Amino acid sequence: MRLCIVALNTFKESIRNRVMINILLFALALILLSLVVGDWSMGHQVKVIKDFGLSAMSLFGLLIALFIGIRLMVQELEQRTIYVIASKPVRRWEILIGKYAGLSLTLLINIVFMTAALWAVGFVMEKTIDFGLIPAIVLMYVEILLMVAFALLFSLLSSPTLSAVFTITMFAVGHMSGFLRDYVVLYPDKGFHWLFKAIYWVAPNLENLNLKTSVVEHLQLQPHAFGYGLLYGLGYIFIVLFIAVAVFDRRDLK
Amino acid sequence: MAESVIQIEHLSKVFKGDLGRSPSVGVDDLNLEIGPGEVFAFLGPNGAGKTTTIKLLTRLLVPTRGRISILGRPSTSWKSMESVGYMPEQPNLYGYLTGEEFLSFIARLFGLGPGVRKARIAELLDRVGLKDRGKQLIRSYSRGMVQRLAMAQALINDPSVLILDEPMSALDPIGRKEFRDLIFDLKKQQKTVFFSSHILSDAEMISDRVGILKGGRLIRTGKPDELMGEDVHSVEVTFMLGPDAPNLADMGIPDALVQDSRVLVRLDRPDDLSALIHKIESHRGRLVSVVPAKKSLEDLFLAEIGR
Repeated sequence: MRLCIVALNTFKESIRNRVMINILLFALALILLSLVVGDWSMGHQVKVIKDFGLSAMSLFGLLIALFIGIRLMVQELEQRTIYVIASKPVRRWEILIGKYAGLSLTLLINIVFMTAALWAVGFVMEKTIDFGLIPAIVLMYVEILLMVAFALLFSLLSSPTLSAVFTITMFAVGHMSGFLRDYVVLYPDKGFHWLFKAIYWVAPNLENLNLKTSVVEHLQLQPHAFGYGLLYGLGYIFIVLFIAVAVFDRRDLK
Repeated sequence: MAESVIQIEHLSKVFKGDLGRSPSVGVDDLNLEIGPGEVFAFLGPNGAGKTTTIKLLTRLLVPTRGRISILGRPSTSWKSMESVGYMPEQPNLYGYLTGEEFLSFIARLFGLGPGVRKARIAELLDRVGLKDRGKQLIRSYSRGMVQRLAMAQALINDPSVLILDEPMSALDPIGRKEFRDLIFDLKKQQKTVFFSSHILSDAEMISDRVGILKGGRLIRTGKPDELMGEDVHSVEVTFMLGPDAPNLADMGIPDALVQDSRVLVRLDRPDDLSALIHKIESHRGRLVSVVPAKKSLEDLFLAEIGR
């Protein structure tokens, strides 16, 4: 219950946050821009629009993770607003997860807006709504939530700047997971082989959450690809948040 | 003393030094008991450990050693805060909420239902002088208004124990007077109040007991009257000079404030009073007043801290 109270307050904070609104407007503008970009492509206009639109949504997620996810707790700690909540009969994990849940709700609403915008653009071009995009969008939402969880964890362990660097690195490494795996297999004795191996095992494979190409190209999805991706992403989020809670629980609020 | 409301036993807090800096001691082996309905003032210079102690009491910091219990519950339990109201030093509240929204948020955290919540918010906004400002965003509040709202949130759950960190620091003289009246009201309601302050005159006026902290250690505790003592340590004498009075140095009164024929003399040895009165009378002067001065809390504080 208290978790929901904190979540709703964070939701209120997010929707009154100008940065969030600006990022959303930027993403919507990018989706509309896909109409122009689509015009440049020869015969693949609709595919390019969808691809560009989904990429804009993905970029939106990364920006939110960087600008809002990192600030989620840092702002509370720096501005000392945390003193008032943490001294109430509330468990620390309820504060942390409540704030995360509030931001997740805001992100969900934003994703719904952007999906509607993408469908509207697609409808203008195709006179039909492509519901086949939904699995890719759901997994993209999970990926954004995972990035926010990482941003939150890093922000509890380091400075906002370093947290941003770590989060971007995690995003990049997560999408290069296949490359890391291949490198380790192909060059088992090369220098830094152990490091790549370690990163491969620790960092999430974000390609498990990437169905963009499949849905845009109308390719047959691998059986259980969606279900596996969903469980994989949610499992990772659970682990990252679990560590974040353990860190925050022992933290002195100076 | 009746069963303690706040019990602190061998409490210590050591802050680890960041990046190779040596650790620092915030609080060192603090023992303190505060009884029901008591108003306790926690005094000390900057860096003495007042805020650290308060943050340990309110679960914002984790003790290195020792234990705290509030109303019989260990502070390690989040439930220990159910009957506690806390106001931080120089509070920062959510600027994106209105005063009413903020109090409603805090009231929900205490599990207050909608009816109670609404009534309590209206009552508290009125009590802290923000009745007409409840619908304004907090970011538009002045420092003093934020302080008043922070006080309101500390009272939202009708707490048995109030822990206030420098509660009067941002208030003007009228605000301080209102705040003192509020503390007196709370005392009448048998609430226990633990507050830190730099304003010694306020602490002297409203507290039942004071504790003086220095370097993380509690060096004195007691009732203000007991600590200051009953002894008169000086006497201020005011008199009018007679028409044919010689100058004061000739009268054997070298240090005095003179305005027209009115003279103010401070005697550091009260035993000298009768001799002075004799001198005044022998030169046909007129005694106006004799005011004995006792040690103030400020005198005591400066003496203790200066040691």
